[in-house]
Amino acid sequence: MTIRTRLTLWYAGILMLSLLVIGYGTYREISEQLRHERWRRPEDRVVNGHALNETEEMVFQVGLPAVGLGLLGGWWLTRRALAPVARLTAEVEKIHEHNLRTPLPRNGSGDELDRLTEVFNAMTARLDGSFTRIREFTLHASHELKTPLTILCGETETALRDETLSPAEHERAISQLDELRRLARIVDGLTLLAKADAGQITLAREPVRLDELIRDNFDDALILAEPAGLQVELSAPEAVQVCGDRHRLRQLLLNLTDNAVKYNRPQGRVHMELRREGALAEYTIANTGPGIPPEILPRVFDRFFRGNPAHENVIEGCGLGLSIAQWIVTAHQGTITIESPEAGLTRVRVRLPIYNPPVK
Amino acid sequence: MRVLVVEDEKKTASFIRKALQTEGFAVDVCPDGEAALAAAQATPFDTVVLDIMLPGRDGLSVLRRLRELHLNTPVLLLSARGEVNERVAGLNAGADDYLPKPFELAELVARVRALTRRSVENKATVLRVADLRLDTLTRLAHRGDTEIQLTAREYRLLEFLMRSVNRLCGRMMIIEKVWDYDFDPGTNLVDVYIRRLREKIDTPFEPKLLHTVRGAGYLLKEPA
Repeated sequence: MTIRTRLTLWYAGILMLSLLVIGYGTYREISEQLRHERWRRPEDRVVNGHALNETEEMVFQVGLPAVGLGLLGGWWLTRRALAPVARLTAEVEKIHEHNLRTPLPRNGSGDELDRLTEVFNAMTARLDGSFTRIREFTLHASHELKTPLTILCGETETALRDETLSPAEHERAISQLDELRRLARIVDGLTLLAKADAGQITLAREPVRLDELIRDNFDDALILAEPAGLQVELSAPEAVQVCGDRHRLRQLLLNLTDNAVKYNRPQGRVHMELRREGALAEYTIANTGPGIPPEILPRVFDRFFRGNPAHENVIEGCGLGLSIAQWIVTAHQGTITIESPEAGLTRVRVRLPIYNPPVK
Repeated sequence: MRVLVVEDEKKTASFIRKALQTEGFAVDVCPDGEAALAAAQATPFDTVVLDIMLPGRDGLSVLRRLRELHLNTPVLLLSARGEVNERVAGLNAGADDYLPKPFELAELVARVRALTRRSVENKATVLRVADLRLDTLTRLAHRGDTEIQLTAREYRLLEFLMRSVNRLCGRMMIIEKVWDYDFDPGTNLVDVYIRRLREKIDTPFEPKLLHTVRGAGYLLKEPA
């Protein structure tokens, strides 16, 4: 029940109660008057009946319409009083992680609502401060990690060139270098996402033939899938143009392909498809992987989230692939979803707005 | 061949110096921008390896000043910032190549070598390494008398390797030049393509031309 309905009901109750009190008062007054005029005893039924009739008349003909009017007025008043709250709610609804810095407009009257807005603005400003600090922390951390990583990689590589290393030492150095490079990729991914969060990345916005990028990616997919004996299919892509950043879109496609190949069973299948869906280009990539349990499905885009901890050592990756894919899609005003029915293909679906060049 | 390395981080500067010296370069190291400008004006270098983040005058400003002074020494920019658009900004400021940190040392050496040799780049239309022949006009490859079928990507990869014959090519360099990716895809794409290319141009033949340098990259080598 809204505050407005509740207030109006209470108001109606109070008005009815007042009407009763007024009715009773009127009845007393009228019967007193009649007795005075006719010198009759108070328990005279005619007098009392007469008074009751008069009172009823007053209550029904004047009192009830007055109550009705009062209620309408009350309904209107509460609406007026609550309108700023409704406006405030609408404004607050628009707040999300990225516009915390924009304060809510204040009415400047210094009333309760103005004060509430002020307090609210102060709260979002504090939140914004915390968000910014976390972002800056990640950004600085990833920068700070790069110098020692550069040194570690460089020195390990220098050690590798040492001819006097035994084959075992050589192996160890190469294994270390592999891990260092993986670490470097994680730091790279982290830097990219931290920058994206802070709005520090500007993407190119140019017409891009999505179908061409997909065909190009298909060639790579064939090669990547070969060692696992996977079958890769691409279904009839028609010419589709989107507006965006060619490099990032290629990164997205390769990223999804890489996942579809990595998380697949041997001799499995990868199916890619590009379709037009009204004003949207829909690209799906499906694979015959082991699937993703429904309880973790909503979390697969989370950073460093790994569905199955047992896979951690088997499949090499930086744990940021899907987060980066999601960022790229969102930055292109698109959506990315993943579905994994118990029996069937695991399917990643990307929808991007189609770009129609202005007709001259 | 003389290289100027402008890097304030001592250890980084030291292993870059070592690696380049091993490859036969003479190396000078400057810890900051002003010293680098002075050194570049005093001595003709064949290549400058320039870190963007330097104390005082930063790398990009050094680069712009060099170009203002009409010093057209090839410059390889190094950066730890990893800005997506920094590469473009660097190239616009007059850099010849860009390498984000952390980089692979072999990659750095390969790039410096490519920059110092740029002027004598192979412009031939038919590339030859031993009995391997690649016609860049018809896009046909032959090993001896056998014609080899190549996909578009395999062709680009082979052309790149043949143009860099006897030079080590790092993975990132191949990714950049053959795939035109400006990011590390984190896949074994290059390795898989090299394996396929090797099956076509090397496996059925002798001597072997395409070599893997573990932990560093690939090398197409003229047999001794």
